[in-house]
Amino acid sequence: MTMMRSIGVRLTFWYALASTVTLAILFLVGYQLLESRLTHGLDQLNEAEFRQLKAHLGPDYKTLNSKIMDDRLRDVSESGSVLFYISIEIPNSDVRFNSRNLKGRHIPDVKGKRAYSATMPGAGEVRADEFLLPPFDVAIATSSRSIRDGMREYTDVCLALLAAMLVVSLAIGLGLSRLILRPVRLIRETANRIGSDNLSERIPVSDVSDEISDLARLLNQTFDRLESAFDQVRRFSDEASHELKTPLSLIRLHAEKMLRDGDLSPVQIEAVVVQIEELARLNQIIDELLFLSRAEAKAIGLKLAYDDPGKFLDVFAQDAVALAEHSGRRFTYSHAGCDEVAFEEKWIRQVLLNVVTNAINASPRAGRIVMTSTLGAGLWRVSIEDEGPGLTGDQRERIFERFVRFGAPSSSDRGSGLGLTISRSIIQLHGGRIFAEAGTEGCGLRVTFEIPARTRPGRRRAPLRQSRAA
Amino acid sequence: MKVLIVEDEARLGIFLRQALSEHAHTANWVQTCAEAANALVETKYDLVVLDLNLPDGDGLDLVREWRASGFTEPVLILSARDSLEDRIKGLDVGADDYLPKPFSVEELLAKMRALLRRQSVVKQSLLERNGIRLDLLGHTVHVNDGAIDLTGREYALLEIFMQNGGRVLTRTLISEKIWSSHYDVDTNLLDVYMSRLRAKMEGALGRPVFKTVRGIGYQML
Repeated sequence: MTMMRSIGVRLTFWYALASTVTLAILFLVGYQLLESRLTHGLDQLNEAEFRQLKAHLGPDYKTLNSKIMDDRLRDVSESGSVLFYISIEIPNSDVRFNSRNLKGRHIPDVKGKRAYSATMPGAGEVRADEFLLPPFDVAIATSSRSIRDGMREYTDVCLALLAAMLVVSLAIGLGLSRLILRPVRLIRETANRIGSDNLSERIPVSDVSDEISDLARLLNQTFDRLESAFDQVRRFSDEASHELKTPLSLIRLHAEKMLRDGDLSPVQIEAVVVQIEELARLNQIIDELLFLSRAEAKAIGLKLAYDDPGKFLDVFAQDAVALAEHSGRRFTYSHAGCDEVAFEEKWIRQVLLNVVTNAINASPRAGRIVMTSTLGAGLWRVSIEDEGPGLTGDQRERIFERFVRFGAPSSSDRGSGLGLTISRSIIQLHGGRIFAEAGTEGCGLRVTFEIPARTRPGRRRAPLRQSRAA
Repeated sequence: MKVLIVEDEARLGIFLRQALSEHAHTANWVQTCAEAANALVETKYDLVVLDLNLPDGDGLDLVREWRASGFTEPVLILSARDSLEDRIKGLDVGADDYLPKPFSVEELLAKMRALLRRQSVVKQSLLERNGIRLDLLGHTVHVNDGAIDLTGREYALLEIFMQNGGRVLTRTLISEKIWSSHYDVDTNLLDVYMSRLRAKMEGALGRPVFKTVRGIGYQML
């Protein structure tokens, strides 16, 4: 029922259903009325025939026997035999008259009813009326086939009209829902367009105050609040960097001066050096937090260029191999596929460096870090897998959050706990996603990012390229 | 060399003036755009160190005006704004280099030297120091007349040290030169390459070549 998720479709559906059902009920009532009216007409016909019979029988009808009755009535009944079945009898005696068209059959009798519809063998449906002419019981029946036929035609016409009504009401409903939903569509389009770069745009609001323009006004107020929040974030980035970094510069400059000027004991020198090192860390955290706040406010512009990432990965792999070898780990890398991806090298390099450094820190000595890059089907996918202890499913979910760290921090770990958060921001700015899974054999951790690639038909796939650490 | 420092934060301005004086420069310090404009009219400076967030305006506008009026001496921007766009904006209006806060005096001096060298001397093609010879054109390195095989990164590293004599080079400065990004500072990639280069050079020379200056960077002996 995905179709019904659209309000327009739902409105159309209910409108068409309501109007068609209403019409159907009207037709049904009409059917009943028409049928009873036509039946009443037959009853009147029967009655007229009865009056004629009565006149032909004469005033001495009570004394007639079957023979005389037959003589007197034959003419009338013959002339009416196209229309009427006639039966006159005195109950429990042999005095009786049956019109010839009955051919030995009886007019069906429904006890307790003077006028009724019934089925007579060989004649189909009939309308029968019983009249009192003591001592006779008079029954006159007329075929009601004409009514049946009329009603069938009525039904056919009604069904055709209903079908037409359904089509017309669907069209009207669709038009109506379009008309009603037009302001909503306008709101949606504008809201869609409003991003960090044009936060000042607003939904046009009509002067009339109805439910929808109230909604638009409410949305515009929300955008006002959003805009001021975004502005605050942007201003905060600039102000915070200025307000924090100037004092940081001073602390660092003074600390370095102390080192240069001498006259410090080794213990004091160590203390000052630790200060300088921690200052660098503090500066890094400030930079990263500012980056994140800007990225969230979409205030970072990427310089995306279409390029084949193969060459870029080759260069990065040199650094990764050096990093891994330095701490006694192995790094292997493979890249397959040939295509163009819009990315900015500097940022993707930062993501790769981050994930590889994490993998090296998590790996046991002589452990292997495997980077697999595949390019094709409109997607560039890079996975980096280590042979470390891995993480639980819950930890893998949280690994991209700010300041979340798992495992014992090693002394060589300079990380701020923001590296993966920043990586996620960078990948999202590239229109991709990054996620963590368990390693292929259940141990270790695999971090994968995917960035959409531009598929260009008619280009041959490059053969699998492989470079390996010694 | 005569240097004009434009910095609104008094303590930083005073510190810089003193530090530059200690390194045999004549430094003058002003706090606002207006003062800076006046100072340039009154005296000829060899170099301007300029902070961007000034109380009476943006430093970038100042650079734009100077360049429009024919002031050609190098301008080094000192700023807390450290995004790439800000840097490019700064260079676009005519600044010559960019130093993000917080910085070290060594970095400031190195950038100043580089700017002045760019102006004066024709670039040398052969660098020599303590028995190490680096050919910038042929990308080769000789130690005591024996060739040494260096990877691209190792060669780039050595070149930076040879260009800067025996000065202390900060991690930020080295990373920016090699990877054109200082985000690599966050990893120990620089230390990894330094230890490789150090092993090769010291193996060939038979004596220490580099000194690690903790918290700051490295120095070539």
